[in-house]
Amino acid sequence: MRADPGQRQRDFLGMSMTALCGGALALNLLLILGLLLLIGYQGARYFWQKDLVLIERADAPPLLGEIHAREPVPAAGDAGEPAHRLQLRVGNRDLTGGDFVWVDEAAISGHRSPADAVLIERLEWGPFYGRMVELRRGDEVLAAGGDETWRAFAPLHRIKLAERAAIRELEKGEIGEINHAIEKLRLAQRRLELDDPPPAERARRAAELEAALAARQAEFDEAAARLFAMRDRLEAERLVLEAADGARKEIPVGSVVRALRPNEMDTLAKLGLYGSRVWEFVADDPRESNTEGGIFPAIFGTVMMVFLMSFAVVPLGVLAAIYLREYAKQGPLVRMVNIAVNNLAGVPSIVFGVFGLGFFVYTIGGTIDQLFYPEALPTPTYGTGGILWAALTLALLTVPVVIVATEEGLAAVPGIVRAGSLALGATKWETTWKVVVPAAAPGILTGVILAMARAAGEVAPLMIVGMVKLAPTLPIDGNFPFVHFERKFMHLGFHIYDVGFQSPNVDATKPLVFATALLLIVVVTGMNLVAIAIRNHLRRKYAGSAV
Amino acid sequence: MALLESQVDRTTPRGAAPRGRAVARTSARRLWIDRLARWVVTAGGLAIIASILGILVFILIEVLPLTRPARVEVGRSLPIDRPVEAILVDEYQTHAAVLGPGGTIRVLRLEDGAVVADTALLAAAAQHPASPTGAAPTPATLVAANAPPGGEAIVAATSDGRFLGQTVDWRVEFDADQKRSVHAELPQPVEIELDPERRPLRTFAGQLRGPESVAAAAQLADGSVAVVRRSTTENAFTGEVETSEERLRYPAVPELTTLLIDGEQRNLFGGTASGELYWWRLDRGESSPPETLSAGSSAITAMTFLIGDRSLVVGQQSGAISVWFPVRDPGDEEFRLRRIRDLPAHDAAIVELEPSKRNRTFLAKDAGGTLALYFSTSERTLWKGRSPVGEATAAVISPKGDGAFLASPDRLAFVAIDNPHPETSWRALFGSVWYEGYEEPDQVWQSTGGTDDFEAKLSLTPLIFGTLKGTFYSLVIAIPLAILGAMFASQFLHPKLLAVIKPTVEIMAALPSVVLGFLAGLWLAPLLERVFPALLLCFLVLPFLVWAAGVAWSRVPRRLRGRFPAGAEIFLYLVVVTLGLGLCLEVGPAFERLAFGGTFQSWLYDSTGMRYDQRNAVVVGLAMGFAVIPIIFAITEDAFSNVPRNLVAGSLALGANRWQTVTRVVLPTASPGIFSAVMIGFGRAVGETMIVLMATGNTPIMDWSPFNGFRTLSANIAVEIPEAPFGGTLYRTLFLAALLLFVLTFLVNTAAELVRQRLRRKYAQL
Repeated sequence: MRADPGQRQRDFLGMSMTALCGGALALNLLLILGLLLLIGYQGARYFWQKDLVLIERADAPPLLGEIHAREPVPAAGDAGEPAHRLQLRVGNRDLTGGDFVWVDEAAISGHRSPADAVLIERLEWGPFYGRMVELRRGDEVLAAGGDETWRAFAPLHRIKLAERAAIRELEKGEIGEINHAIEKLRLAQRRLELDDPPPAERARRAAELEAALAARQAEFDEAAARLFAMRDRLEAERLVLEAADGARKEIPVGSVVRALRPNEMDTLAKLGLYGSRVWEFVADDPRESNTEGGIFPAIFGTVMMVFLMSFAVVPLGVLAAIYLREYAKQGPLVRMVNIAVNNLAGVPSIVFGVFGLGFFVYTIGGTIDQLFYPEALPTPTYGTGGILWAALTLALLTVPVVIVATEEGLAAVPGIVRAGSLALGATKWETTWKVVVPAAAPGILTGVILAMARAAGEVAPLMIVGMVKLAPTLPIDGNFPFVHFERKFMHLGFHIYDVGFQSPNVDATKPLVFATALLLIVVVTGMNLVAIAIRNHLRRKYAGSAV
Repeated sequence: MALLESQVDRTTPRGAAPRGRAVARTSARRLWIDRLARWVVTAGGLAIIASILGILVFILIEVLPLTRPARVEVGRSLPIDRPVEAILVDEYQTHAAVLGPGGTIRVLRLEDGAVVADTALLAAAAQHPASPTGAAPTPATLVAANAPPGGEAIVAATSDGRFLGQTVDWRVEFDADQKRSVHAELPQPVEIELDPERRPLRTFAGQLRGPESVAAAAQLADGSVAVVRRSTTENAFTGEVETSEERLRYPAVPELTTLLIDGEQRNLFGGTASGELYWWRLDRGESSPPETLSAGSSAITAMTFLIGDRSLVVGQQSGAISVWFPVRDPGDEEFRLRRIRDLPAHDAAIVELEPSKRNRTFLAKDAGGTLALYFSTSERTLWKGRSPVGEATAAVISPKGDGAFLASPDRLAFVAIDNPHPETSWRALFGSVWYEGYEEPDQVWQSTGGTDDFEAKLSLTPLIFGTLKGTFYSLVIAIPLAILGAMFASQFLHPKLLAVIKPTVEIMAALPSVVLGFLAGLWLAPLLERVFPALLLCFLVLPFLVWAAGVAWSRVPRRLRGRFPAGAEIFLYLVVVTLGLGLCLEVGPAFERLAFGGTFQSWLYDSTGMRYDQRNAVVVGLAMGFAVIPIIFAITEDAFSNVPRNLVAGSLALGANRWQTVTRVVLPTASPGIFSAVMIGFGRAVGETMIVLMATGNTPIMDWSPFNGFRTLSANIAVEIPEAPFGGTLYRTLFLAALLLFVLTFLVNTAAELVRQRLRRKYAQL
């Protein structure tokens, strides 16, 4: 064999081609691993606090901020060692108009990390980088000088945070409830007009509503007065700050989220800060049109929508699979149906979105509105995108996944098990429900998990049937009937699209989007891995027992 | 097992009552439950399958109205006591303003024909000063009148050379009970002396657009054409009203049969009995001669503007109807009037052309009594039938486009028009259409514009093109990587390694496309803009490096290689590919300077004229390729793995090497599976929305260049459907786009599935 030169040539060719195939596979692996690493790194980095650097320049005021990126200066056709420039996050959007500046390294005359440099995360205008100057209440100076202010600030800030929480509680709780009640009374008034009862009845009920409305309004005024007083108290103390270029800024202590001296923090403190930021990210509401703060409503909306969808898709999918596998007469028709179901999984998701919009939102929702909510028209209640319609649309989208997985699970149950059950006198239904379905449960579970993972990551159809960039209220709250299926909701995937592409300040929000993407990927791939594990377990379990 | 199951089926009590035997002990309740369950399962199962079909049916039902012609119904008619020469109706079709022969404008309530207001147009403007010649003033009469297109006014020409115009303002009010009432207000009429010598005017045209803009033109008795343009502007600060008037007199032309002036007071069109069209450009002054064109030898009998006053519809004695508009000539940048399209000719002379104020629908009536409704852009004949009145003296389409009024000497007839989707036709959706303002027929998607007279351009062709372009670029990247990778994974990899690597690749499929789109748009696109030459370099360098690594690996003594599981060199390749990528990025800038003499983008522009857009087809191809790879990979790998082992063993036993076995035995056997893998990958790429939405500029252009963006059907739906009014043409057109996607993917997937099933049967036989 070795002697044949032709064969050796062919062997060499084969080896070369095999290497290329291997290279293709390696590239595939590299792509997926690289992508996961990229998102993992970029997403995780968002919460880490870097040191602040003070950059002195020869011919311009100094800059204080975090080094964000370093890249070669784009200079066309310039040979030799390319010059580099730094991208600095300098914050202070209210003073300078932008969050970032580019500095040529050539223009830097020196840089250091001053210990008293503070980073103030604020409710408005993004972060502030600078020094603390003084703390004052009206004209009274409570503390002056960097260090003294820093020491006096922390205890005061804790009090203010508690006050802010109380305000939030009042706004969301009591005032929210009153608003809800007023809105309901208004709709009841409108309804009364539409119903057009006899004049006497009408006058009586109108008066009742009027009285109730007045009472609520009084409650509202009282609560609002309290709220304003609390707000005034919150804003009583003010922190005077100085930016690197000497510009001063006064902000209420109550609007500070976090004040840090990153250059004084050790690694442990930074890790603590990291944890606290991660917690803020998953548990807080967004601020500054989604570019800061947390993404809790998006997580909540995604989870609720996925669960709603599961309630719809599991019974339907399992029922259809049981019919196809256990009850329908096997033949060309069932084969065709199976192909159709399989192919439905390949129909683009946007098509389902279009269907959901036309059928659920406009047709069914519009009808519901006319029958049950005429008083709110022309403002639609169900006749517009909402979490229920989104869940149902996704249920249609994912029903093939559940059907296919359930069928696979049912098929894996050996026929002898059915025969045994029937032989013992069980009816067909008893056999199916008590013997076959439990045995196929892991298969069904796989399908459900895959469906949920798909739903969690799907965005296109939801864009047109119910997602919004900022939902003012969650679909579940303390107001009757507690669960509001008609409400619009926020979704992690849409959050990525919206913040990444519709935001005016892409540089500043990109890290946040990476963090959101990381969270979404962790959730979705985690679910998929679980499903794969269950599927493999199932296959092993039945590989031996199949007849 | 099949036998067993059929036996099981037969022994199952099929809802029959227990009759003696062992099953007799089965309680009636259990059997009842069993029957119920069977019924529920069957009904539920069928319902779900039906609902899947229902999706298709529902989308189809939403699309179908696009093809429906207009419905025109002849409604009530109102007797009138004198002939009508011009007519206007209000938005709600409650009142009509008609001009009678004596120069009286009357406002009729259409419910009962009562006259609610009238004004004598001629009398109101009759205080004509004595003529300079001192001749005794003879009482003037109206020689012609009409309601010009696009306005709410009636204009008339008198026998003593004057132009009269009356605007009708419809005031709509709602009282406390939301009851609507419409009143007509007739402000002071406008009067312009066109012929200083006070001869009767011949053909004339006029436009009144609000109180501030009046234009009138007429052919005078000597054949010359006189034009007066008057505009009034109010100074916003001082409140001073300033009126400017311009008089133009053009040299004589042959006798005109029709004359038309636009609302902008820029263009005057005239038609003659010999089929000539004249176009005076009023902004160029008296010295500029009119452009003359021939519309054929037949006399021009009617002319009108479609909404926006750009399209000129010309009706002729022969029954021909044609649409004209000025088109920029690419040669000398000059606008020239072009005959754009012809609508089906009538049998008799066209006597009346009336445009809609809503869209580019117009009504045509011929001398033979045939009435037809056309839409210019889509070239559709929306309706054709008999006119309810024999001899029409005036006609108007109601402002909302939902009705028309035709006046005969003794009756005012109303026809109801239901014309929801005139804009679509096969040609408008898929073919080339010559749109107003375009240099040539084109396929354009531009569904909404800033103005009311915007011409919607609903060609799906650029979107289909974009879909195919995106699919093409992603498959170009995905197919080789996925198939070669799957080949290696199934044929050269130890099962233990495969058990790890296969799920890793499959996890790619689970990545939400919004994440891929975000990365492509915000990370990859800017990166690629900087390092594009490095990517090109990769195509050259990576295969070479991998090949070198493979050669090196084969030179490693067999004893050492034997310690690793088969295919362990994949990790070597992984390292090599990673290093290769790093190397390409490192030497990329030097390569760019060397190969392109500067930046790649400027080289590209200088040498091919192509621009490099940041979000382009390459970016989409990479990102969407990434989404498609795992799908093709998984199915291909299955097809390879399921090739019966005995075939492989036989080939190897006959002395073929691994590669020969793979290419000559495994590949041909598995090729249907690969085909179906590619089909399913195609289906996925066609329907992908988020990646293309985020990684392209979403510009609906038709250009195969890899360096610019495109817009796909799916992204177009996502972008436009939230703004599309429910039930409107755009809404239904987007449903049509969804239907196309549905049908396309369904067909492709079915084909793939059938191929796969056949393959499975073939394997079973082998």
